[in-house]
Amino acid sequence: MTTALIFLPVGGALVVWLLPLRPFAVASTAFLVALAEVALWIDTLARFDFDKPGLQLDEQQSWFSDLHVSYHVGFYGFSLWLVGMSVVVLAAATGYAFWAGRDRPRAYYGLMLMLTGAIVGVFVSQDLLLFYVFWEAMLVPLYFLVGVWGGAGRLRATLLFVIYTMAGSLLMLASIIVLGISQGTFDLVNSGTNSSDWIFLGFVAAFAVKAPLFPLHAWLPETYRESSAEVSAVLSGVVSKLAAFGFLRIAIAKFPEPTADFRTPILVLAACGLVYGSLLAFRAPDLRGVIAYSSLAQMGLITLGLFAVNPLGLNGAVLQMVNHGLISASLFLIAGAVERRAATGELDALGGMARGRPALATVLMATGVIALAVPGSSAFAGEFAILAGVFTTGWGYAVVGAAAIVFAAMYMLRLISAVLHRSPGRAVTEAALDLRPAELGIIGPLVLCLLVLSAWPAAITERSFPTGRTLTELAGSR
Amino acid sequence: MIVAAWICLISPLAATALITVGGNRLSRRGAGFLSTLSVFVSFVAAVVAFVALLGDSPSQRYHPSTLWSWLTAGNLDFGLRIVVDPLSVMMMLIVSGVGMLIVLYSIGYMDGDDEERRYFAYMALFVFSMLLLVQGGNLLMLLVGWGLVGLSSYLLIGFWHRRPEAISAAKKAFVMNAIGDATMALALFLLIQKTGSLNFEQVFTAAPSFSNWTANLVALGLLGGAVAKSAQLPLHTWLPDAMEGPTPVSALIHAATMVTAGVYLIVRTAPLFEQAPKVLELAAGLGAATLLLAGLIALVQVDIKKVIAYSTMSQIGYMFLGAGIGAYPDAMFHLMTHAFFKALLFLAAGIVIHALTAEQDIRKMGGLRKLMPLTFIAFLVGSLSLAGIPPFSGFFSKDSILASLLANGWYGEILWVAGMIGTFLTGLYAFRLLFIVFWGEPSPFVREHFHALERDLPGLSMAIPVGVLTVLAAVGGFIQFANVWTPITDWLEPVARPLVEATGTQEAVSSVIAVTLGLAGIGVAWVLYGARTSEVPRLAWAQTLLERKFYFDEAYDLAFYRPAVFVAKGLARWIERPLVFGSVRELAQGVGLIGRDTSRIQTGLVRTYALAIAASVAVVTVVFVAVR
Repeated sequence: MTTALIFLPVGGALVVWLLPLRPFAVASTAFLVALAEVALWIDTLARFDFDKPGLQLDEQQSWFSDLHVSYHVGFYGFSLWLVGMSVVVLAAATGYAFWAGRDRPRAYYGLMLMLTGAIVGVFVSQDLLLFYVFWEAMLVPLYFLVGVWGGAGRLRATLLFVIYTMAGSLLMLASIIVLGISQGTFDLVNSGTNSSDWIFLGFVAAFAVKAPLFPLHAWLPETYRESSAEVSAVLSGVVSKLAAFGFLRIAIAKFPEPTADFRTPILVLAACGLVYGSLLAFRAPDLRGVIAYSSLAQMGLITLGLFAVNPLGLNGAVLQMVNHGLISASLFLIAGAVERRAATGELDALGGMARGRPALATVLMATGVIALAVPGSSAFAGEFAILAGVFTTGWGYAVVGAAAIVFAAMYMLRLISAVLHRSPGRAVTEAALDLRPAELGIIGPLVLCLLVLSAWPAAITERSFPTGRTLTELAGSR
Repeated sequence: MIVAAWICLISPLAATALITVGGNRLSRRGAGFLSTLSVFVSFVAAVVAFVALLGDSPSQRYHPSTLWSWLTAGNLDFGLRIVVDPLSVMMMLIVSGVGMLIVLYSIGYMDGDDEERRYFAYMALFVFSMLLLVQGGNLLMLLVGWGLVGLSSYLLIGFWHRRPEAISAAKKAFVMNAIGDATMALALFLLIQKTGSLNFEQVFTAAPSFSNWTANLVALGLLGGAVAKSAQLPLHTWLPDAMEGPTPVSALIHAATMVTAGVYLIVRTAPLFEQAPKVLELAAGLGAATLLLAGLIALVQVDIKKVIAYSTMSQIGYMFLGAGIGAYPDAMFHLMTHAFFKALLFLAAGIVIHALTAEQDIRKMGGLRKLMPLTFIAFLVGSLSLAGIPPFSGFFSKDSILASLLANGWYGEILWVAGMIGTFLTGLYAFRLLFIVFWGEPSPFVREHFHALERDLPGLSMAIPVGVLTVLAAVGGFIQFANVWTPITDWLEPVARPLVEATGTQEAVSSVIAVTLGLAGIGVAWVLYGARTSEVPRLAWAQTLLERKFYFDEAYDLAFYRPAVFVAKGLARWIERPLVFGSVRELAQGVGLIGRDTSRIQTGLVRTYALAIAASVAVVTVVFVAVR
């Protein structure tokens, strides 16, 4: 089951690459595979028993038996939700690319599908080396997707992205090798905790770059601006969550003592990133800029929740990962739709798009107010739990977080108004259409997921960690 | 009863969903009727719940109900929970009753607007949010309703979204309320830490064991939310701007219901506030300051809606006075009568604005009494009630609050003086407005633009609610007569037992003085604006000070907005730019790869690395498949 989830899209990629299909057939095949992946996930969800603790749906095959490396995959409650969010977002991204049309479709869709498989792989890996293989396998398609299909400044953006992530990856690889050799196995489940600060910091560095955490975000604004809309959606929605997942699954669960030692500096950096990202989002001149910096702020918030290391913080963080994945993907796709109509994302040149475009206005307004965590939304539930959790760790973090919620209202309302309200901007013509049914069909389901989660956020918080034993399962045992 | 309460809550939400999904398939008027019907269903359900609750003995009148767990973590569980008790039922009746009338009125008022459907969807959303606020069975649900009314208020203030002023006002209202939401959330975090729950029962039971610090911080956090929502000092500046919204919105949200939520919050969480008496005193003090400040500013306003908006702030100041000294039933009583007469004033003003083709400047108005006598009567009843003249409803409720102040020591007496000055101001500004708009001969502008309300469906839909509210504002006060006949106090007894009780003498003295001062205010207004026998005194500096609204907007701009922008710009310039643009070269140097043609090498670098990784992944995969 789990293996099928990883290799269905990989198989799809091979089909697209190897069979001589016409461009339309390529795109539609890719989209169908992405949808099938969602269906497969729903099936997995039905098979998963949330009342049972521990790893489920696991599969293990010995690989390098001398080193105790194995192909070991499986699901925990929270990873199931993260995979679900990822496959939904990736299906939307693939669908959006299908609708928008991309050059060199065979290469493009093949890479998208490879990316999907690798991302699922990272979430389900229970072996460090396997984790690393999937991690790198995820980065390669991204390098190409940003570098080949991006905007005018794509090469600079790619360069920054590659250098930063490679540096992080190398540190992680070093940590993995040292850890694996020292404990005699690379398995995450059948090994105990570790107390080495250096190994911990190697992992943290890799994840902090990928999230990103302030001040390691230099690659973020350019990359999110220069990529095509759906790739930005995947980068900020899904790929950043892999880093947060890494914090949770490896850094926090396997290194309890270093986590406690380094908690204060990490929390401080996360809080700085939260305020810093919010303020820059408030001044950013373009749509993508606002969303990119708000993403930075949100990753700071999620990190706050994770490193609170208590049930409220962890549950809130997992919920917020899912929320932010959906929100950020919707926002980037909407930004893409707006940019297609106005040929620019400059906020000064936009405006007045609400009149006569009810679908666009409704979808943007709904996503925007959920993004600013209006009470009652799933994002509010996530932020509330995170801040309540970090409040018990140190009330100051919660105060900063509460202030950041006010900033979030400021930058998100600015974005909504800049696109929808006042008189039409110079880039907005009467000819600019409302969202087409296809676009609505792609973005709508993401918003619908958010609305359902808003009515019932406990669907995730009740089903992420086994009751009363939040982290014990993850720490593993010998 | 529980089922009725849930129907009451869900019905308007269903209308919102139907109108949104229905889109063009639903006619504009159909959307209006659907919205009205849904709120009517809520009202009927609220009445059913009320009758059912009457059947219980007073001590049994508390019925929580949880639909499902909304947010959980570890041992914590915050349910989607409502509570049916005397306080929530009273608010349900007010919200759905007044709401139904105002949504009905909107059918006429918004007739012919381009985006009528969106308007009615938002109105229903607001009623749902407000009902959630008052029915919420734990502090988290209360906060959710609290935030959602803020959202609906934002959507409706900015309803005419092509107007820059409307959009700025909407954003301002949302952000100011977000500040209140944030302080409330912090209070909730502290409660979670101390009690592990947000259910009213558990929190209230634990309250007496709180340390001084905890009790004060919790109460301060909640008070922050209350002053923001109720437009009290120092978070009041958004309310006058909010008048950019359509008039029925001002009537429903910014007069009758949402802005009084702060009072509801204090009464609802009274056991928490009572652990922090200093904070309660602060609430009363803020109320007194607000009622004076707003009363003064109202004297110089020239926009018909803004005068009424400032009077709303001022009247809520009275409610804060009442709640702050523990006279909870009096505060709730005033909340109710205020909902009647203030909604009436706004709706009547709406008819005036409608008749004068959307003109709101009172300097252009005059002599409308002869052209629209019925509207004049409605406005007169509203104004008399506002000024606290017997036997109109405002008299009974405001005087109870003032009398209770006398029973509350020296601090109460100081506040009592403030309240009395406010009574004089109220009479003055209310009748200044009435005389300017309705008295004398029709002004040239009125003669040119006036057109009467037609006797068609839209006209009737506006006339009927105004009629009903006129009756309620006229006689609604008789439901409670201090020391003689006190059904509201008795009804609320199980939830909010008053801390003070005025004696009969205090009631009598206070009433006589208040009515005298109110009449004095009216008299001065008559001299200056009615009979115009005397010139309006001019004090240039005072005039400017009041017209600039005591410079709060300017001060906040200088103290908060500009520094935030400055810091954001500074961060972008001094940190972000060097970080993003500086790091490429430095990193490249770090890796040791600088060439004459940098760009080509950098591009090459990307490709090489990507290829290397791709190759290594391929090798690893092959090895994995082969070795197994």
